[in-house]
Amino acid sequence: MKEIVFTVKKDIDVPVELDSLLPVKLQEMSVEEIKKIELPQGNKKISVEELFNVNVNENEAITTPKVTINDSSMKLKRIGEKMEAGEIVVNGDAGMYVGAEMKSGKITVNGNAECWVAQNLKGGEVIINGDAKDYVGSAYRGDWRGMSGGKITINGNAGTEIGEYMKKGLIVVNGNCKIMPGVHQNGGIIIINGEVEGRAGGEMLKGAIVINGPLKSKLPSFEYEGIVEDPVIKLTKKDEGTPIKGTYYKYIGDFVSNKPKGQLYLSVEHNDLTC
Amino acid sequence: MEYIIKNGTVYDPTNKVDGEKMDICIKDGRVVEKVSNNAIVLDANNKIIMPGGVDSHSHIAGAKVNTGRTLRPEDSKKDVWHKEGLRKGSGFSVPSTYKTGYQYSGMGYTTVIEAAMPPLIARHTHEEFVDLPQIDKAAMPLFGNNWMVLEYLKNGDLNMCAAYVAWLLKATRGFAIKIVNPGGTEAWGWGKNVHGLDDEIPYFGITPRDVVRGLAQVNEMLGLPHSIHVHPNNLGHPGNWETTLDTMDCVKDIKAKPKHGKRDTVYYNTHVQFHSYGGTSWKDCVSKGVEVAEYVNKHDHLMVDIGQITLDETTTMTADGPMEYDLHMTNGLKWANCDVELETGSGVVPFIYSPKGPVYSLQWAIGLDLFLHANSDKVILTTDHPNAGPFIRYPRVIAWLISEEYRKDWIENRVHKWAAQKSHITDTDREYTMYEIAKITRANTSKVLGLSDDRGHLGLGARADLAIYDIDPEEKSGKKIEKAFLEANYVFKNGDIVVKDGNVVKEVFGNTIYVDAKINEELEAELMKDLEPRFKKYYSVNIENYPVQEAYANQWEPINIDATEIK
Repeated sequence: MKEIVFTVKKDIDVPVELDSLLPVKLQEMSVEEIKKIELPQGNKKISVEELFNVNVNENEAITTPKVTINDSSMKLKRIGEKMEAGEIVVNGDAGMYVGAEMKSGKITVNGNAECWVAQNLKGGEVIINGDAKDYVGSAYRGDWRGMSGGKITINGNAGTEIGEYMKKGLIVVNGNCKIMPGVHQNGGIIIINGEVEGRAGGEMLKGAIVINGPLKSKLPSFEYEGIVEDPVIKLTKKDEGTPIKGTYYKYIGDFVSNKPKGQLYLSVEHNDLTC
Repeated sequence: MEYIIKNGTVYDPTNKVDGEKMDICIKDGRVVEKVSNNAIVLDANNKIIMPGGVDSHSHIAGAKVNTGRTLRPEDSKKDVWHKEGLRKGSGFSVPSTYKTGYQYSGMGYTTVIEAAMPPLIARHTHEEFVDLPQIDKAAMPLFGNNWMVLEYLKNGDLNMCAAYVAWLLKATRGFAIKIVNPGGTEAWGWGKNVHGLDDEIPYFGITPRDVVRGLAQVNEMLGLPHSIHVHPNNLGHPGNWETTLDTMDCVKDIKAKPKHGKRDTVYYNTHVQFHSYGGTSWKDCVSKGVEVAEYVNKHDHLMVDIGQITLDETTTMTADGPMEYDLHMTNGLKWANCDVELETGSGVVPFIYSPKGPVYSLQWAIGLDLFLHANSDKVILTTDHPNAGPFIRYPRVIAWLISEEYRKDWIENRVHKWAAQKSHITDTDREYTMYEIAKITRANTSKVLGLSDDRGHLGLGARADLAIYDIDPEEKSGKKIEKAFLEANYVFKNGDIVVKDGNVVKEVFGNTIYVDAKINEELEAELMKDLEPRFKKYYSVNIENYPVQEAYANQWEPINIDATEIK
């Protein structure tokens, strides 16, 4: 298998869209062909060779089609958008829409990410080792059918409205999170290990949110169920359940809607019932 | 520019031309008998020729269309129009203006009527028309819930009502009288609705029957080119077919007296599919399409368009505000609605007609029941764009009508079994001919709109609006039919080639048609005495700022009517 390595060679002013640089597609192309690929930059096009130094590493140790982007910045948008297989490693920051609508494969960003990480993710895995901004794993603006599978891990902090309209899948934030994680959530699980500013699960109908740090202000429209220890989160009747370690206050909500089934778990260690 | 189109198989129902091989000559934007030797020759051998399509009911511009676009960014993402040399656009069910024009043109349509214009927002509608290329257009202002109309009808003052209708048509550069859920949208302002034809409209004390009959009489007093264009009460509710037949029946004694055009009907029931539901709830709902079609066949005073469900994800939008509220409560999706001051209201809700859904499949079958059991002289093909489906599905509807085999494939393999179980769709093996397709998309529409003098046909002197489709008249492959009608081989607009092989090759901006009905000066003076204080008291705009100004069209095409005999 081939690893295609793109190294940014100049400062980028207007953001460039990289959705055409997908690992499987590039496997079949020669270096010269890859260099000639045109990438949208604002209302113009820029060729790969104008923007990147391109190297191809071919060895047996690489078992999956792979793309590496070195010296990346927030100006590189749509990395791995609609990816169906393979692996992308971003060394540096990733611009908006990294992993959007991805079906399968793996994207690792060794840096921070802009807004809309893995928007409408369908499958596969997206790992951001730095911080991510708003709308991680959200739905396309206006749509009520959000992320439907896959896993997103943010090892740093995340912004507002993560998992908006989420239907399935898993989002893990190891750092802190701003307001409204799981807004309109309709399935899936969001686990936040740090602090959350507030309004977790606003208008959620189904799914679960687990907050292991403090939730600064909880919505009043969630009903307290009791303290649970090492809960197994079941989202449907057929769901075998996802076990979580710890002691939690369990709430159901959001009761601004009729018959909500959203589950909100707040760690007893960092929260109290009056929060 | 002169053209001669040779050896095409022509379908022109207005002139009783049914599949004849003939040459068509075009000069100076009109169909002529012969052209000079300089004419460009186009070979249409093995291709069919029809007049340019005329769509009598579509929502393509104005407040609710724009609200639909704003409400649904995700719809914009679904379909992006990106063709070299053309304006870019987006939107599947509510496309942007240029995309709307290009796509209608690509299908061979040359005239499209916007079916509901809140008078107060006429300027906006016309502003969008200015940016809608390729087609001639017109808009129908809403009258069925208008305070002035309701009051004049309450007082039995038909003359003043006629004067007001004429004034409003002129002020808004409108085309015909549109009635939506008569009385119901006004009632919605009071948190209510009206359900039957004889329910009382709150405050005004009259009934939908009074509104429909009153406006039908006013329409004929004025002699407008089109009849009243009615969306009756109870849209989309099981059991509503009786209200539909009552509404159709309540104007049968009125005689058509158009002063322009050749229509002989006094009533136009739009999207009749939504009004042909039997039963008492969605559980026991059945198709009453055959019964409604039989009524339509037996009576000469009316015409219907279907509003065929296309089983797509779309955006519903109508001036029937209470109905949209019901719809939002049914599917729980986002919605928008508004009240338009003294005039009307509206609502917008996204909707997914899934072929797997029993009710949606039944709705689909009801539309086809109507098509397959109605006389092809009395029906019109629409999807009530975008309510029952986007207009780009017209070719698919044509394929369902032409090919029984294709229809069967959908019944057996694609839609829920309710479609066959609760309708009469499998009782008939009727297949539409190309001649009938030309009727329901061209001849019938142009006649009922009062526009058949120079469009919707290919007789001498007709506007050279025509479409050439690359298809065998006997073709039964659904996919081939759909492709041929979606991507016309050639389309002429006013004698110019605007589409070649489904691609727009020339951008033209059509006319905006409106009715200018002249009324008696004394009557108008009396009307203004009534109107001016009302504008001051109730409207948020001054009467001086209300009328649509001259600049709001690429080119106006007035239909002048003399109604000065009304005193």
